[in-house]
Amino acid sequence: MNSTQTLPREVALIADRERTMERIYAQTYPMVRHYIREQGGSEEDAKDIFHEAMIVFYEKTALEQLTLTCSVSTYLMGICKNLWRQQVEKQRRKTAWNETQTDLVWEEPEDENELPALKLMGFVEQLGETCQSILVSFYYFGQRLEQIATQHGYRSVRSATVQKFKCLERLRKAVSHLSIGHFKS
Amino acid sequence: MAMRPELEEVQLLEAYLRGTLSEEQQMDVSVRLLWNPDWQQKLAAQKLAYQAIHLAGRQQLRRELDAIYVRLFG
Repeated sequence: MNSTQTLPREVALIADRERTMERIYAQTYPMVRHYIREQGGSEEDAKDIFHEAMIVFYEKTALEQLTLTCSVSTYLMGICKNLWRQQVEKQRRKTAWNETQTDLVWEEPEDENELPALKLMGFVEQLGETCQSILVSFYYFGQRLEQIATQHGYRSVRSATVQKFKCLERLRKAVSHLSIGHFKS
Repeated sequence: MAMRPELEEVQLLEAYLRGTLSEEQQMDVSVRLLWNPDWQQKLAAQKLAYQAIHLAGRQQLRRELDAIYVRLFG
């Protein structure tokens, strides 16, 4: 038994992400895989869909403070079924289109947002490991500054806060020459 | 540790975007933004910065999930 098991799920997910995610993964993935295989999908399909569902789940829980009224497994399974249906539908339409075109083009069309996304992420990486970790931990993973201060060896929450804003300012400078119109998401 | 003005400004714009300022402060910032192209540019860049962080975070989460898959089922 580890101590996080007594914490509310949302708190455990943020404070002890890797272990909590691993536990949810171990519990839920076999069910998802079983379902996707039954529907004619591959292991790779199951994994991809499950990861997308986990990302939705994390973002909803950590960033939007969603409180589930059902079990995590049920919630994730529901997202996976939806994502799978969407994928099948997309594939069906693409196949129909290709048949009318007679030439078979199977590659995904280039996502217009893909390149700017990579470029944008590059700016975060260029900040160096410490800044990247502080910014991502706080703004994406929703970690508390107390935890971030401890992890990065800051003496106080205040110094971690100042450091966070320094990193954010550097990032803001780095992206400031880009036009906002490029990055509609 | 006092923050230099530039950092105070980043903090203020963050609070503005989150809507956590007092009504009066919120209004002040709105008015300033209206008349100050430099501030508009800074706000736009700050939004872009958050977007970049979000993308980087998602990528990290995806990597962590891949690692868990390999550990448990790979």
